[in-house]
Amino acid sequence: MIASLRWLEEFVDLPTRESGVIAAAFNSLGFEVEGVSVVAAQFGGVIVARVTAIRPHPAADRVRLVTIDLGSSSLEVVCGAWNFGVGATVAYATVGSRLTGGIEVGERDIRGVRSPGMICSERELGIGDEAGGILLLEDGLAPGTDFGTLVALPDAVFDIAITPNRPDAMSIHGLARELGAFFGSEVRPIDVAEPAASGATSAEVRIDDPAGCPRFTAREISGVTVAPSPLWMRMRLRTAGVRPVNNVVDVTNYVMLETGQPLHAFDLDRVPAETIVVRRARAGESLTTLDGVTRTLDPADLVIASPEAALGLAGIMGGGDSEVSAGTTRVLLEVAHFEPTGVLLSGKRHGLRTEAVARFERGVDPGLPPIASVRATALIARLAGGAAVGPLVDAHPAPRQAAVVQLPVREVERLLGVRLFAPEIGALLRRLGFDVAGEDPLQVTIPTYRPDVTRPADLVEEVARLHGLDNLPTTLPHGPGGGLPDWERRRRAVHATLVGAGYSEILSFDFVAPEQLARLGLPAGDRRLDPLLVRNPLNDAQAALRTTLLPGLLDGLRINVTRNLGDVALFEVGSVFLAAPGEPIPAQPHHLGFAAIGAVPGPSWQPRPSRDALDATGLIETLTAATGTPLRVEQAAQPGFHPGRSARVLLGDAVIGVIGEIHPDVAAAWDLPGRVVAGELSLAAWEDAAPAGFVVPSLLPPVVFDLAFDIAATLPVAHLVDSIRQAGGPYLENLSLFDVFQGPPLEAGRKSAAVRLTFRHPERTMVDEEMIPIRAAIVAHVGAAVGGILRGG
Amino acid sequence: MISAADLRTLSDTIMARLPGATTAAAVDALEAEALGPDAPVTAARRSLRDAPDAVRRELGQAVNEVTGRISVAARERRLALAAAERDTRLDEEWLDMSLPGRAPARGKAHLVSTVWDEVVDIFVALGYTVAAGPEVETAYYNFDALNTPPTHPSRLESDTLYVAHGDDPEGVLLRTHTSPVQARYMETHRPPVYMVVPGRVYRRDAIDATHTPVFHQLEGLAVDDAITFGDLKGTLEHFARTFFGSRRRVRFLPHFFPFTEPSAELHVDCFACEGSGCRVCRESGWIELLGCGMVDPNVFVAVGYDPAVVSGFAFGVGIDRLAMIRYGVPELRMFFDPDLRILRQFR
Repeated sequence: MIASLRWLEEFVDLPTRESGVIAAAFNSLGFEVEGVSVVAAQFGGVIVARVTAIRPHPAADRVRLVTIDLGSSSLEVVCGAWNFGVGATVAYATVGSRLTGGIEVGERDIRGVRSPGMICSERELGIGDEAGGILLLEDGLAPGTDFGTLVALPDAVFDIAITPNRPDAMSIHGLARELGAFFGSEVRPIDVAEPAASGATSAEVRIDDPAGCPRFTAREISGVTVAPSPLWMRMRLRTAGVRPVNNVVDVTNYVMLETGQPLHAFDLDRVPAETIVVRRARAGESLTTLDGVTRTLDPADLVIASPEAALGLAGIMGGGDSEVSAGTTRVLLEVAHFEPTGVLLSGKRHGLRTEAVARFERGVDPGLPPIASVRATALIARLAGGAAVGPLVDAHPAPRQAAVVQLPVREVERLLGVRLFAPEIGALLRRLGFDVAGEDPLQVTIPTYRPDVTRPADLVEEVARLHGLDNLPTTLPHGPGGGLPDWERRRRAVHATLVGAGYSEILSFDFVAPEQLARLGLPAGDRRLDPLLVRNPLNDAQAALRTTLLPGLLDGLRINVTRNLGDVALFEVGSVFLAAPGEPIPAQPHHLGFAAIGAVPGPSWQPRPSRDALDATGLIETLTAATGTPLRVEQAAQPGFHPGRSARVLLGDAVIGVIGEIHPDVAAAWDLPGRVVAGELSLAAWEDAAPAGFVVPSLLPPVVFDLAFDIAATLPVAHLVDSIRQAGGPYLENLSLFDVFQGPPLEAGRKSAAVRLTFRHPERTMVDEEMIPIRAAIVAHVGAAVGGILRGG
Repeated sequence: MISAADLRTLSDTIMARLPGATTAAAVDALEAEALGPDAPVTAARRSLRDAPDAVRRELGQAVNEVTGRISVAARERRLALAAAERDTRLDEEWLDMSLPGRAPARGKAHLVSTVWDEVVDIFVALGYTVAAGPEVETAYYNFDALNTPPTHPSRLESDTLYVAHGDDPEGVLLRTHTSPVQARYMETHRPPVYMVVPGRVYRRDAIDATHTPVFHQLEGLAVDDAITFGDLKGTLEHFARTFFGSRRRVRFLPHFFPFTEPSAELHVDCFACEGSGCRVCRESGWIELLGCGMVDPNVFVAVGYDPAVVSGFAFGVGIDRLAMIRYGVPELRMFFDPDLRILRQFR
């Protein structure tokens, strides 16, 4: 909403004209000022002139020689504009006058003709953008009049954001009322002197849908002469961002800006019948609106219609057929009240967000139509001539009663924390136009222009606004405490572990295109290939919700590889989305995903091996150590991964994720060269292992010995380790694998795995002799369980 | 029979040759020439038992003297050689310390995560807990329970992303704010409630400098038997000063949200220009930080609280926005770019 200070001042006397102070008042009232500009222009030496003669230039086709009457004298100037004739009233800049932008007007020679001064366009005068022709002033202005007296400048203009709950503030008068409340100044009402009327109108109104249109007023005005509006009107509208059209249409826009009530003027002679019907559109009905677009109407659209055809989209835009134009003499002025939701939805349906929609969708004051109608009738009579025919036709089947809200006095203190007494509260509310009676509770009558106020809390907000939020106390309450929940601490631990392990965090969108999932090499039937679909995606890339974090991570690797950023290790923690038929919402577990490509970390100038699946298994070991969640890796070919270099991750007996090297075909599909390490784990099931209790380490000497076994090359070493542990007895303190190799002297298909075993008794020193049976038991069990043969034994 | 004089001569000879021994083995051999099992000094020591008293005394003295002199000298020589050898090795081990080192691998947390944790911690220190809720949410929790009218424009398909799940085409959606967790939390907890909800939220926005379809929000809620707007002011002022610095001033301007009444917007004076106007604050001296207000009575009714008995405040702040403001990140979409040159700037 754009509001000019001079217009506001027509309704309220402000204690200041300082635009900064007024902007601060608007802000403090909850109307955020998004910009303040000062409209000023210089007109020194510009006067009104009348064109008395025009003749061609002897040497130029595109300009004419124009004789103008300046009141006490006349002279001839050269003019390049063609939008006027003899009799036009124009603005003439005399020689020596200074225009906006510092232009000094002189006497010029144009193709051999002297031209003293110039006839000005709007742009030259700095009051508008129009430069295609000269500014035409209304007839009747006396030649020689100082042009500066015709325009009310300078003016301060506020660009104000109006929240959707405040229809009343979408008007100059409403904003003036707020400023009056803020500064404690009286606010003048809109002039509602009933205009003189004669005769009887033949116009009739029928409301078929009183829910959509609770009130409809119509007024016939005849004898109008459609012409451009006077300068002051055009300037007001332009400043408010509305394009001037003609005196009748301009008045409807002007009154809308002033009162907040949208109006529409029909050319009554172009309305097929003089009965106006307000009804829902018929199926298949169409209407060409003022913007020239022919629209197919929806049966939910409310229309203004003659008995035969729709004339306009109610509360949104009129129709082109009944538009007021140059030849119009009889006008039907529609000022109605429409229900907000219908206008909002209809406007959205047709992609129309007009000034009328912006007001009706907020809920215009149902008391306004007669006021705005009177105001507009008087202005049309003044600007376009003509007179009202008969009284106002006012169809208002079920007038709404003013609401009364009970406000307990202590409610103000309970919600705001400041103690105000009934008289103070009453005084603040009265300044905003509320009627207040009683003591406790206060009986507050809500004016019809404030449909947003229906409850005590709403009144408390009014008190807070006017009392000033800055004047409320400042207190700092504390909650009961308890710290971070376990799941949040764990998320942070996982996060810190990944960062500490060299992985950088990315955020990717939760969307996925189904074809991205298809590139993951998953078998038919895999849940991840069946994503939840977004019903109204903005584009194909956002058509579905991710079922896995891997596409985002692989994209992340590729982007970095493409940009030559070398070794990359990324992770993301976020939700994936899986169908859950019958549940209120889909399943959306939190996952940790990681992916890396390039060499292992190390000095850049030394040879470094490529990352491989061991980076993934090592990361799982680190996660277990860092979070206390006992994760296990179990080798098993995973879809989308290298069949011999992938594994499941288990927590207890539950599979919670996969790790390994991405299958070369999948890596190729993502344009990733070399080995790609990746994994994805569900964080949902994680929990901290119960603290085992503190163990004091023994200082007694251990017994240490090594064993090397000859085992099948395909046997996971973990199985050998498990079998050694099973036979190692209670005092096997530590087992570390220190050598694994294949090749001579071993036979093909065999490998050697050597372990160092540490035994320690908590209470006494063990001796070598005790190891003989333990060693024998291990060798026997390894042989039986995994077919391992002790080497060098 | 070896005389004492012979021993002393031998000793002088050995001592003279010792500097010429350049290895530990050469020193050992030289020492053995005098002190070895068959060497003269050892032989002289053996002959002492049978020697006449007069000779024994002098010879014995010479044996001890020569033994001590040679073994001490040999030991010193060996130590000197070891030291020289060590020095040579150290010289050889000179390393160019300007070379890139063996740095432990270290990634970067995302700036949004860092700010997320920081904001959560500010409220945890005030006794708040942390809650979470689903990102794919029902329209009930996202809109209805939060006093959003059935016809509110935010529900339109032009603004909100709906998910195909269940029979109602507008029943399930990507949540447009973290506020639904308010309703879910209050349904299952009795007051007092002091909680924050950090999380992802979604809008049907095309990607540009200031819009992404996914962004991050932190919702806060305090409900107790006597929470006032003054508590809201004090809490958010504390937050703004903890996050942006203790010198910051704040202002609250009345605003409108369906789920709070009264509602306000919190502005903080610009930390970059101290309020005098600059690019960060778009010359206004103030930065719009968040929306807040007293919980609307209808929200309490929807979750089964009595609005006549309890009161509360709620606020929602953009985590990405906080990060952009404080770190001068020019475009929201940069947070979703996996380029390491962006990620590595974060701490």
